[in-house]
Amino acid sequence: MTRTSIFAKNRGLLITLVLLVLLPFIVGLFDGASPVAVWNNLSGNSKFIQGLAIEIFILALYALSYDVIFGITGLLSFGHSMFFAVGAYLTGIAIKTLDLSLPATFGIVFVASIVQAVLFGLVLPRVRGITFALVTLGIASVFHIVIMSTELGTYTGADVGLQGVIVPEWISPANERLRFYFIALVVLISIYLLYQRFVNSPTGRVCTAIRENESRAQMLGYNTFYFKLAALTLSSFTAALAGFLHTLYQPIVSPNVAGLGFTVTALLIILIGGVGTLQGAFVGAIVYRLLDFGLRRYIGESASFINGAVYVLFVLFIPFGIVGTWRLRSFQIKQGWESLLKAFHPDSHQ
Amino acid sequence: MNMLIRKNLVLIITLVVIAFMLGVAAQGMDRQDFVITLLRGLAVGSITFLVASGFSLIFGLLDVLNLAHGTLFMIGAYIGWTVIVRPDTIMDLLTPLALILSGFALGDLYPHLSSRIRLGLRMKRFLPWALGLVSLLVLGFILPRYPIAIWNVENYSQSPVTFSFMASQGTRLPVQPATFTEISPAVALIGLLLASMFGAFGLSLFGKDAQRTVRISWKSFIGFAALLVVALVGFAYNDSLTNALTALNSNWLFLIAVIVAMASGAGLGGLMEATLIRPLYSRPIYQLMLTLGLSAIGIEMVRAVWGRPEFVTPKPDFFNGTGGACPATNFADWWANHCSTILLWEGRVRVYNEIFIPIVGLVVLISIWVLLQRTRLGMIIRAGVQDREMVEALGINVRRVFTMVFALGVGLAALGGVLAAPSTGLSNFMGESLFLNALIALAIGGLTNYPGAALGSVLVGLIQQFIIKYGQIGIPVPFTEIVFKPSPPLVPASTVLLMVIILLILPNGLLGKKE
Repeated sequence: MTRTSIFAKNRGLLITLVLLVLLPFIVGLFDGASPVAVWNNLSGNSKFIQGLAIEIFILALYALSYDVIFGITGLLSFGHSMFFAVGAYLTGIAIKTLDLSLPATFGIVFVASIVQAVLFGLVLPRVRGITFALVTLGIASVFHIVIMSTELGTYTGADVGLQGVIVPEWISPANERLRFYFIALVVLISIYLLYQRFVNSPTGRVCTAIRENESRAQMLGYNTFYFKLAALTLSSFTAALAGFLHTLYQPIVSPNVAGLGFTVTALLIILIGGVGTLQGAFVGAIVYRLLDFGLRRYIGESASFINGAVYVLFVLFIPFGIVGTWRLRSFQIKQGWESLLKAFHPDSHQ
Repeated sequence: MNMLIRKNLVLIITLVVIAFMLGVAAQGMDRQDFVITLLRGLAVGSITFLVASGFSLIFGLLDVLNLAHGTLFMIGAYIGWTVIVRPDTIMDLLTPLALILSGFALGDLYPHLSSRIRLGLRMKRFLPWALGLVSLLVLGFILPRYPIAIWNVENYSQSPVTFSFMASQGTRLPVQPATFTEISPAVALIGLLLASMFGAFGLSLFGKDAQRTVRISWKSFIGFAALLVVALVGFAYNDSLTNALTALNSNWLFLIAVIVAMASGAGLGGLMEATLIRPLYSRPIYQLMLTLGLSAIGIEMVRAVWGRPEFVTPKPDFFNGTGGACPATNFADWWANHCSTILLWEGRVRVYNEIFIPIVGLVVLISIWVLLQRTRLGMIIRAGVQDREMVEALGINVRRVFTMVFALGVGLAALGGVLAAPSTGLSNFMGESLFLNALIALAIGGLTNYPGAALGSVLVGLIQQFIIKYGQIGIPVPFTEIVFKPSPPLVPASTVLLMVIILLILPNGLLGKKE
């Protein structure tokens, strides 16, 4: 594969990347702030947008990690928030209580993510389908309860949440937000590329086969356990990485990130974006975060009512999500667009 | 004999283990503590069972994991509370609800009607949307103007003591009947009826099988007429009915609350299945997500209507007696005085919480079991759990049974909600925690197994209560001087751990069969 073909293949990704790199400066220009001011992290609209974008990147990373086990491998896990929360809490505890440096913290998070994937992997061969969902829900809620318990309050902050994590100055989200923005962007894009590689690799193909029909994959001679474990490990690592970034970015890690609600968030995001389409995680995270943000701002408390309604409407009417529907219908949409340009003609398809 | 033992090995082992654990537990505490904890465990188990059994029936037959079940449990509790505290609102709601439903009762008529009308293709595509829109517009115009007693919910977030005081003083209901001011009653009633008929007609046109010839059954007309009569009676005698309900003895009011909550739960369940879940039978995962979304919506609806304060449903007077003769020392004594507590083996047992609820649980267990084993519907359900397609092939309208089972399951959850409300109180979170319990109970007992649901629920209830009790007493760790006191959050963790362990050993639960 030559270099040009990679660029040609990922043209959309490249355009997105360039847009995202330019985004803080463009927003700054609209706001009347010069690129230099944005570069120097002066407060303004651009900085606010950067913050929102970082949250979206972290959510997208988290949703990507759920997509690889649910959308690609077909494992319905209700304990996914634990992957995220382990990364988030370990980072906080390592920096705050153990006084470790950032690379060492990252190392710990990395090891822990592998260990917990193996822990989930232990139950893999025994249970399938709904039972797997219940067991993972069980493991995760035990973790949630442990985090919330007062016995560990000095480390985890019990039900208040982990706070007071002092982030190194060179990456602090308050003073060096633009740097944080670029780091999060680079992490997200590289993980996305890794995932694309994984999905298109022979291993990823077997994972897709497991989703479609596990017994047939076994019949073909694949030990599906190893493939599921591989997907789980990758997912666990990514979610822990998202948790790592989350702790660095947010001033307080709320115990809600370990609850079932946060798993549902991931489910919602990839449902909006499209299950099993990696780009769906991006699109879904953007839609979800902006919707949530806008609703909370203009409607207030009942925002989660609208969230639930959006969820139900998506399930009923757009089950393949935005990206999935686009892929399925892109030909028809183009055709319809062309005919719309020619003349108004309602019965063009279906 | 040998065969019998081998078949029920797991059950026997479980019972032996439970008996052993109870024996061990009895060593560590006083007899009165033991009795109370046991009864409390059974009570929690019964409420869990009411939720779990409906959930398991639905999952067994329809393969739908109804994650909104806990929310429906909560909605049942809130509806029951409203009936007891503000009967006037319920009476005001009766007429519009009956009118809205009446149009849908004529379900068979609409396909007939549409097969008579010849329409162009474009018109045919357009008509259902237009009808639905008209219906929504009319509803949107009338409903906000329809007089329904609105009241400040915050006033009722009070203890049962002040509540019963208010009731005894006759000041419970400052009844100010809502009246028609903006629209005339005739317009409102006829408008609602027409809106409902338009809506039902529009919905029936969405269906693909609108062309089939249907015989109009007389049943649908009777249903329509009955709903109309209910609506009109509710409208004409609104005030006197409200006064009658307000003046009613609290026992009867509680009974009415139970019935209303169960009926509305069943109605809600049937509606959910027929409109939202039915299109998704080909995509199981999406049903799961749908019910998740519905659960979020339900919680928000409850927050919007009833707000965040926590309430307590007053106990019916039958279980709420006080005075010199209380606590009763035996059941004859209790029957004479209706004491709220009774002395059993030196322990003060609350009659409603710890005796009445387990009895209701047992009654429901037996009646559902009879329904499953001895009736035609139960036979269809059992056959459907085993092989749905075969039952369909035998010419049984499985879809209708689906709706009925869903309604039954949700009705049971609502019953659980009403019964639990006087003992645990109402809050926005009561559904979630109980649903987790029910899920654990089902996973332990076997997801689609009816006796398994009962066994699992009782296990979960007992273990939780005993651990709470030991949390107060403290567990002496062997060979050390340390007394371990598990903090309250560890209670759910213990049952969850039990579930994980049991599922790892027996992936289908204790009584579940291998697929």
